[in-house]
Order: sequence, then C-alpha cells, then structure tokens
Amino acid sequence: MDSSSRYRSRRMAPLVAVVAAAAMTLAGCSSSSGGKKAEESNAGASAGKATTPRMTVALVTHQSQGDTFWDIVRKGAEAAAAKDNIKLIYSADPNAGNQAGLVQNAIDQKVDGIAITLAKPDALKDVVKKAKNANIPVVGLNSGVSEWQKLGLMEFFGQDETVAGEALGKRLNAAGAKNAICVIQEQGNIGLTQRCDGVDKTFNGKLQTLNVNGTDMPSVKSTITAKLSQDKSIDYVVALGAPFALTAAQAASDSGSKAKVATFDLNKDLTTAIDKGTIQFAVDQQPYLQGYLAVDSLWLYKYNGNYSGGGEQPVLTGPAFVDKSNVDRVAAFAAKGTR
Amino acid sequence: MTTDKTSPQSDTHSGTHGAVIEDTAPETDAPLVELRGAGKAYGNIRALHGVDLRVHPGEVTCVLGDNGAGKSTLIKIISGLHQHTEGDFLVDGAPVRFSTPREALDKGIATVYQDLAVVPLMPVWRNFFLGSEMTKGPWPVRRLDIERMKKTADEELRNMGIVLDDLEQPIGTLSGGQRQCVAIARAVYFGARVLILDEPTAALGVKQSGVVLKYIAAARDRGLGVIFITHNPHHAYMVGDHFSVLRLGTMELSAERSRITLDELTNHMAGGAELAALKHELSQVSGVDVEELPEEEDLTAPVVATGEGAS
Amino acid sequence: MGMTQQAAPAVPAPPAPGRKETDGRTRQQPLPLRLLARPEIGVFLGAVAVYIFFLVAAPPVREGSAMANILYQSSTIGIMALPVALLMIGGEFDLSSGVAVVTSALTASMLAYQLTLNVWMGVIVALLVSLAVGFFNGWMVVRTGLPSFLVTLGTFLILQGANLAVTKLVTGNVATDDISSMDGFDQARKVFASSFEVGGVAVKITIVYWLVFAALATWVLLRTKYGNWIFAVGGNKESARAVGVPVTFTKISLFMLVGFGAWFVGMHQLFSFNTVQSGEGVGQELIYISAAVIGGCLLTGGYGSAIGPVFGAFMFGMVQQGIVYANWNPDWFKAFLGVMLLGAVLINLWVQRTATRR
Repeated sequence: MDSSSRYRSRRMAPLVAVVAAAAMTLAGCSSSSGGKKAEESNAGASAGKATTPRMTVALVTHQSQGDTFWDIVRKGAEAAAAKDNIKLIYSADPNAGNQAGLVQNAIDQKVDGIAITLAKPDALKDVVKKAKNANIPVVGLNSGVSEWQKLGLMEFFGQDETVAGEALGKRLNAAGAKNAICVIQEQGNIGLTQRCDGVDKTFNGKLQTLNVNGTDMPSVKSTITAKLSQDKSIDYVVALGAPFALTAAQAASDSGSKAKVATFDLNKDLTTAIDKGTIQFAVDQQPYLQGYLAVDSLWLYKYNGNYSGGGEQPVLTGPAFVDKSNVDRVAAFAAKGTR
Repeated sequence: MTTDKTSPQSDTHSGTHGAVIEDTAPETDAPLVELRGAGKAYGNIRALHGVDLRVHPGEVTCVLGDNGAGKSTLIKIISGLHQHTEGDFLVDGAPVRFSTPREALDKGIATVYQDLAVVPLMPVWRNFFLGSEMTKGPWPVRRLDIERMKKTADEELRNMGIVLDDLEQPIGTLSGGQRQCVAIARAVYFGARVLILDEPTAALGVKQSGVVLKYIAAARDRGLGVIFITHNPHHAYMVGDHFSVLRLGTMELSAERSRITLDELTNHMAGGAELAALKHELSQVSGVDVEELPEEEDLTAPVVATGEGAS
Repeated sequence: MGMTQQAAPAVPAPPAPGRKETDGRTRQQPLPLRLLARPEIGVFLGAVAVYIFFLVAAPPVREGSAMANILYQSSTIGIMALPVALLMIGGEFDLSSGVAVVTSALTASMLAYQLTLNVWMGVIVALLVSLAVGFFNGWMVVRTGLPSFLVTLGTFLILQGANLAVTKLVTGNVATDDISSMDGFDQARKVFASSFEVGGVAVKITIVYWLVFAALATWVLLRTKYGNWIFAVGGNKESARAVGVPVTFTKISLFMLVGFGAWFVGMHQLFSFNTVQSGEGVGQELIYISAAVIGGCLLTGGYGSAIGPVFGAFMFGMVQQGIVYANWNPDWFKAFLGVMLLGAVLINLWVQRTATRR
C-alpha cells in the first residue's frame, strides 16, 4: 500500500542526519528502548499495479492543516492512485469559497475525475455543475451524505458526522453513562459540532459541550481538568479527535475524576490507550477507506463503467467501533497511520 | 531649570576653568580633529565634497548651513556613523576611518544629536550612563551600581548648573533645553574631547537656547573642542571661534571670528550670492522692498571685523 | 580617552551638593500615585479583580487544586510571555513564537525517535534549533531594517509549513511517535513536566519555573547593563546606538531569548504529552503578546516590566479556566474571554491615566 513517494521519503529522512546519527550513536547516546528501531519490523503492504493508461484525479477537501483525520483520507487516496496508475492532485481549504476555487482549478486542468467533500454543499453547487458540463465525473466523500444526489454527484463514500455521533451516543447509553461532556477543540467547526449534536440526539443522559483551545495542549488539559472538578458527576468525556482523547485521559487521572474517555477517530497512540484501558472505545468512520474508494471508483467508472452503490445509495464507511475486543486487529494498521 | 543666577556652583566653575584654560584658541596646538578635502558620496549622489575643517581644544567651531547643505553628513562622518569617501579625516594628526560610533567615542568624540540625544521613557540617570553603565559584583551577578550612578549623575548635572528634583523621572518629561544639557553634561563626564552638537538650539525658545549656549561655553571653557552645528548665525556668533558655512555639500566660507562680522555671517547664511541675484529679480516686481538686502559685492571677501565685541 | 566608566571624571570633583534645590518643574508625587505609575500595577489590580470575581462566581475556584490548575495554565502562557515581553520592551515583535514552541518539540521528538537516541540528545538539538530560529529572526530584522512584524510573519508561515511538511516527511503522519518508552524520557519528564505535592495538592513544576524566570527577568531588566540596553534599544534605537549600546547584539539576543522560551515550553509539551501534533501552536503568539501588553508593556517598545506579564498570563489563565469553573454557557466562551480581557485592560488604562495625571 505504500505509495512510491512515501517509500522514498522514509529512506531519505534518516539519510539527512546519518552522519550525526553515527556520531551520536558512537558517543553512546542512543536509546536502548523504544524509538524507530523498535518500529522497524513493520513493512508496508504492497499491491499490484494497474496497467491502464495514466489518468488524473483531483481530490479536493475541506481539511485544515495538520489534521490527522484528513491525513489518513489522503493516504487512502494515494494508495488507490498508486495502484490504479492515477496521478493524484490533492488540495484542500477549510473555507468553502476557496474550496470551490480549488475545484474550478481542477476543472481548468482538465482532470479525468474529481472527488470532493461537501462540508458546505451550497458553495460547491456551481462548480459541480461546471464539472458536469465539462464531462468530468464527480464523486463525493466524507461530508454531504444527504446532499450528494441533489448536487448530481455520481457516487458517495462516507458517513455523516451526525450519524457517527448518534452511534457513539447509543454506545454511551449501553455503557451506562449518565453525565457526559463533548470536548470541541475548534469552536465553530461544523463537523465537530455535528458530532456533538449527533451524540446529544441519541444519548439518554446529560450532555454538556466544552470548548477548548485545540492549538495549545496544556490549555486543553487545564480546561478539561477544570470542567471535571467543577462538575464531579461527569462520568464520560467524549473527545472529537484522537490526540485530545489522550489528553482528556491525562486530565481525568490528574483531577482524580472517575470519568471515562471515548473518542472519535483513531491513531496509533490511541489504539495503545484502548488496549491499556485508559480509553474505552473509539468511533471510526474509516477515513482511509473514504479516500481509497473515492479515487478507486473514478478509475472503475472510467475503465469499467461501474457505479459504487449503484449511483443511488451512498457507500457507508462507518461507524466502526474500536474497543478492547478488536483493538489488536486495528492496532497494526493504526501504527502505520492508515487507520 | 536653573540659570546661573540660582546656581552658584556653575558660576564658580566656569570661572575657575576660564582662568585655567585660555579663552583664545591656542594657535600652535595641533587640531584634535581635522578634515582635509573630505567628502562623501552615496552612490552617484555627492552629499559632501572638499570640506576642510579643524577643531582645536577649547574652541567652538560653528558649522552653518541650510537644510540639505550637508551638515548631517559631516556629523555622521566625524561621529563614526558613516565613512568618508574622499579626502582625509585625522584625529590627533593621524588618519582614521571609524566604522562604528563606538570607535569615535573611544577617541573621545561624542555627539549630541538634536532630537535623538536621549531615550525619552528612561529615567534621567539611566540616560546619563546609557552605554557606559557602572557595574559592581563578579560576572554572573554583575549588576548596575545604581546608587553610585545616581549620585554621580546628580553631581555632574549640578556641576553644569542643572538641578533636577528627581533623577527617576523619564527624561522625556524634561524640557528640550534640559535634555540637551543632560546630554552635554554626559558627554563631558565621559571624557569627551570633541563634542559635536547637532542643532542643539533648533527646537528651543529664546530662554532655553540661551541656557544651552551657556553650556556650550562651559564645555569650551573646560578645554573641549566643540563642533556646533546650527543654522542660526546669531547663536553661532555668540559662542563661536571659527565659522564654516556649507552650501550644497561644499564649504562656502571658512573664517576666524576675528575676520567676520555677524552681519556678514548672517548674509552668507541667508543665501549670500544667490540672494543677491534674487534681489535683482525681485526688484522687477513692484511692491517688494529690496533696499535692505545686501548686494553681491558685500559678500565677496570676509572683511576684517571688529573682533570680539559683536556678541 | 575611553568612554568606559572611569574613576576620575574629566572635571575636578565638585563641592558636595548643599541644600536640596528644586527646579519647580516637577514635584514629588504622593506614594500611592507613584506606585500606580509602575507599569505592572494596573494589571495587578486587574488580575486581583478577576480573581475576586471568580472566587465569588465560581465556588470550585476556592479549592487548592483548582488554583493549581489555573496557575498551571497561566505558567505555560507565562513562561513564553516573559521573553516576548522583553522583546517587546526592546521594540520588536515575534509572531513566530507560537509555532516555534511546536517546532522545538517536534525537533526533539523526531530526532530522538527516528535515530533511536537518548531523548536528551533531542532536547539539546531542539535547543540549538530554537536558538537558531531566534537568531535568524533577529539577524533578519537587524540586517534588513524591515519591521519585525513582517520578518517574523514570514518565519511564522515558514515554521508552520515546515512543522507539518517535515513531520509528514519523517514520520509519515501529522503527529510524532510516542517517545515515552525511550531512554532519558523519565529523567527529562522530571525536569520539564513533573509535579509535586503541596498540602495535598499536586502542583506542576512549570509554575515554579515561571516564577523563577520572572524574578530573573526582572533582575536582569532593572539591575543589569543588558536590561538597560533593552529599554534603550526599544525606546530609541538610534540614540542608543549613538551612545555606544550594542543594538545589534541586544536585538538578536532578545530574539534568541524568545527561542529559548519556545524551547522550554516545547519540551514541557513534549514530555507531558509524549507526542506532538504538528499543527499546534498557531495563534498562541497572539496570546503571549496579549499577556505582555496587558502586563503593561508598550506595543511600541521602551517601556514595560517582567512582573506585569506574569499577572497578564495569570489573568488569561484565570479567565479561561474561571469560565469553566463557573459553568457558564460554553458557546459564549470566547465572548466572555473577550469581555473579561477588555475589562482588565480598561482597569489598566484607568490606572495609568490616574497615575500620570498631574
């Protein structure tokens, strides 16, 4: 599954500092535990490569910089592109107007297919129409499960944030939670708000939202600590991203609260935490799958005329729960940053 | 601000020094600072060209000139902010080329700028010692010797006849004249031999200007060579021993006090030859009174004048 | 004749000053007014007001553990606000200070992990990188004469991009790997991110560093040559240069001091959270600058204190956490924060006006 560029980068990075490394290792400064060496055994899965003529696909999302979730979507898309002999153009902007501009840019480049996220469908209506007029197939992913057909998209891969939230809310009920907080790391972010709203819809207990400053971890920790000591009856903390879940777990143990932690999305450290029991479970909408399927579907459409979901139904990629019972299976993939 | 009437110390002091150091310029002495045909070009633009200037100890050399005449370029060369590109610059008879103001300071050349003499928000005593702070204690805990600095600053200012209630007040709260005086006292204290004063009276009222001129005289009486930059010939003539007039980057006039009158100096400053030409033009226009303006022939050569009595 | 301090001034010693003379232009202000004129008094009163307000409005704040939590939050802002304040007094800005924290943490973490080194090696290299970033900022500002606002905006964007790109290039992810099992981690955690018990309350060590650094900065600012130079280069760069203050050295070293602060906070984050997210830190620079400004530092330079930003940071921490302790509607969180800060600044302004009125 490793794309060629990823492979190259892995090799280049140690090269850069190899001299320094040698010097420092000889000087006896190396670590005997953990670190890269411990991780080394992990080899990437590789797939065959399609022999179809090269095509170009643009993936335009509403990612904001440095978001783990979108990083995984992109890896999925890159894996599909590598396998299908596709040149992938990835671009993203959290501002809907700018995102529309990026789509226009892709149309101007005369790509063979476009995959977009519909965080704000209205803003993208016009460019989608333009793409159709230019005979470029457009598929949707991640957000917009209820709008994609209206906009005339061919297929859709993903799951609404609200649906994921609802699933998590039900799970909280099953766990017997009575009083939970939903920690929003970026106030005003639509996706995050939808997740909390989804939880609220199905959760039978009391749900409060807590806004934290996501760019400053110590502040996130302090604020969660403050909330847990302000309301000592809180028994569940719902985080909306893996790094914040890990910080929430620290805050819970620091403040001596009995609150447990559940979260959306996964990463490598989170699977370890689930394994250890510091975090109860995670709802995963399988971002890798969204990116992979969206790109792959465009290839299938071009070379075999296939419609995933028959062009009528969305292809749901989640919600998938990861907890102690299945974390072993997921952990290895999360370690590679693909789940 | 005190004047000499309220400050007996300053009187005794200038008196003492006046007796020790002759007021007249010691002609035989080598100049402290000398420029020989010095000039400065910024790329293609020649800001200063062929300037000769000599500064003797115990003498005030006045440099006059209109805006843009090259006065500030001249200061910048002597104070080490810029380097000359032609001619020679000698200190104590040896050619020099300063790359920083620090080097000029180390040679005893101190500059008091018109508007940037001090850091306004800093207390008086901190300004007084800025860049040459007194410290005590060994390295990691070497610290300012605040008490000694305050005491010294107070004494030095009193010596110059400046009495302030509170050395902790930001220097920006002092009047323009007081600030100039603090800066002059500072330069004198730190062993300046040559004091460059950039338009010290430009922004001041009559009374304040008088106070500053008094300190220029006091500095001269202590044996310092003073370069007094101004565009006010009256101020220059009150304290000056030698007068140089700059125009468009070149030296238009260089004369001893004994060889020039205030009127001539004023005429040169006011535009000299150009003004005479302008007079002819203006005389064509009715309603302009040109009678009092000088003729060109009045300005051609410095006439031996009445000597010391003009001020 | 040198310009260094000399035992014998150029003139004979004057007669000892006799009776106290006055010039009539200034008069001694009464003590309370003189106290009010200190740059940090306004923010001190503002901080006290905010504290009392939340003491009344949010009962949990009265507990020791809550105070420890508030102080912890304040300390992570406050440690950075100190060098940022010194830099501001020195007349410059650093917009890259927020992401520089993350750059430092990423460097240490990735270096140690990728090369399987003792984490202390990463810590040392991160320090060098942080100082180098500071040096670059300072050098660019001094050499080009461009406003530091522009230069550090450039650095801010460069670092923000590099944080993400290099992290992706090296780790393949947007966050670094967990280094908590590596050699030296526990030791480093003790230094940068431990806590200790005071009367049954766990107190984070950053609070101690914060206060120690603040005391040190105050001493340097008011009692050393270097401190004098900081005021001078911020107050009037040209006259400072003219009287022989090493302006270039002072400015560059101030930027490097910010680099040091970024390193310290970066190490704290790394060793308390084990991993670093590459996208963090954006926007923090404004919080540091605000803490310094609320703390009485003049935006234009030349005036301020190191104690003021301590109260400025405390006010930030207090308001941020106080709102949570008071259990106010979180949707209004930012609005509350803004109102509280504006109120505090107004108190500060009022105090300054009262103090300088004659």
